Amino acid sequence: MSSVAMEWTKLLPLHKTSRTVASAVALAVTVSGLLSLAMAANAGQMSQDARARFDSIGIALQGVNAAVLVVGVFGVLCVTREYATGMITTTFLAQPSRLRVLAAKLGTHAAVAGVAAALTCAASYAIGQAVLGTGGLSVGWGAHRVGPALAGGAIYLVLSCAWGVGIGALTRSSSSGITWLASLLVVAPVIVQILPASVLHVVGPWLPSQIGMSATAGHGIPNSFGPWTGLAVLAGYVLLTLAAGAWRMVRTDP
Amino acid sequence: MIEVRGLTKRFRGRTAVEDLTFSVRPGTVTGFLGPNGSGKTTTARMILGLTQPDAGTATVGGRCYRDLPHPLREIGALINPGAVNPSRSALDHLRWLAAANKIPAARAETALAQVGLDAVADRRVGAFSLGMRQRLGIAAALIGDPAVLLLDEPINGLDPEGIRWIRIFMQSLAAEGRTVLVSSHLMSEMALTASELVVIGRGRLVAAESVASFTARVDSSVRVRTPQLDALAAALTTAGATVWREEGALDVVGIAIEQIGAVAAQIGAVLYELSPQQASLEEAFMHLTSAECEYVVERAAALVRENELVDEVAA
Repeated sequence: MSSVAMEWTKLLPLHKTSRTVASAVALAVTVSGLLSLAMAANAGQMSQDARARFDSIGIALQGVNAAVLVVGVFGVLCVTREYATGMITTTFLAQPSRLRVLAAKLGTHAAVAGVAAALTCAASYAIGQAVLGTGGLSVGWGAHRVGPALAGGAIYLVLSCAWGVGIGALTRSSSSGITWLASLLVVAPVIVQILPASVLHVVGPWLPSQIGMSATAGHGIPNSFGPWTGLAVLAGYVLLTLAAGAWRMVRTDP
Repeated sequence: MIEVRGLTKRFRGRTAVEDLTFSVRPGTVTGFLGPNGSGKTTTARMILGLTQPDAGTATVGGRCYRDLPHPLREIGALINPGAVNPSRSALDHLRWLAAANKIPAARAETALAQVGLDAVADRRVGAFSLGMRQRLGIAAALIGDPAVLLLDEPINGLDPEGIRWIRIFMQSLAAEGRTVLVSSHLMSEMALTASELVVIGRGRLVAAESVASFTARVDSSVRVRTPQLDALAAALTTAGATVWREEGALDVVGIAIEQIGAVAAQIGAVLYELSPQQASLEEAFMHLTSAECEYVVERAAALVRENELVDEVAA
């Protein structure tokens, strides 16, 4: 427990921590707001059929896909920043068990990411729905799948933060850690677009970004896993990366 | 009490520390001496569980560092004074260390006061000078009020006043019955601070003994002043001594001081001075480690000869 206390005391007085939460929320709200604004502006030209198929929940929660980078980088940096300054040696002097250090970092940062995730999902959904409402496209808070989509978005964000921690432990370098994270979350979906449709069909559902889309969608989207299956797949990636990161932390001296 | 037994570490085939065995007793300041790259920091890191040894053990109070439940309460270490988060205050830095080992938070203020940083407790560590960071590192080492202290090059970056302060401070910590191991490559400073020595060269133990017996290993010379320099120098050389001329005096090595007096009396030389000269720690160190350097040169020469031989055979 003292290793958790250690990580909390490192984390809490930092302005950076609250700035991370604030920037995740601000980014998500901006993206959700702008996208909803574009949709609401076009609402007049939408056919009845298009209105029926319109995913009001998914659009309002699009901000989550932007906030995911913020919480992911937050996870990466919690490990790599200590390797960069050499402070990791001081940390290991205070807590010689590498696994406890990693577990404490994971726990505390996932908790902060949890707060950021809850605020992000609630705020971007509120703004998105309010803006969509101007075009008559809102479904409000009581509609079918609003709850699961909000929860799915929050879980997606927390898992991404945990993934960042694992990638940080594995790479030990801020630049390469962030590059890996961004490649997996943002670059991979762009690159797979050049694959032939038959291959894309197989690979697509396994992409983290696709999993995030599916988790926050109001209804099933094509070429992807269901929301909970997708999140379970993502959790698998996270566990594998964390295991590899823990192995490197224990085996290789700082 | 620090005990090192058969400690060995290789980095990519290059041996950094080889079969090192020594122990550090409480109550005195023990200097850990060696030239740059001799393996001092590697040894310190192995004692602290930061580097995994290839062979051997290092224990603090009978236990390996990684087995200590609250290590900061057993051993305080200064290993890398730059290892701080620059955006945090000095007090914050000590507070998370205290939290990590269930040390009362008030110890953070006490430790800062002990090193004279209480006035800047709330200032960002990033704005600290090197000397202030060294002091903060020492405060971090003291946070758990440990019985053992391991300070790696603590006087780096300190001004003369700071060096004097840390010398007296380490001696007072030892006087309280603590074990203090201080590594340095500055011999003259260690001669003033330490009473025991662990000397390593190229990863191997050169000596582990008191400063006095270490310096006694080198032949002490005797300084002789006389108006009859040439006559006495000749007589002493005949008696088997090695004599150097130095500005109206002689430095004599190889025979006892009593014998020098007797030789002077025999030839009727008037003596103005007849005094033993104690070798400095630095001289003793250079003398003992030069053997290893010669070995290196000899081996290089042997390699060259071997190559020439191979070339001849090939031709």
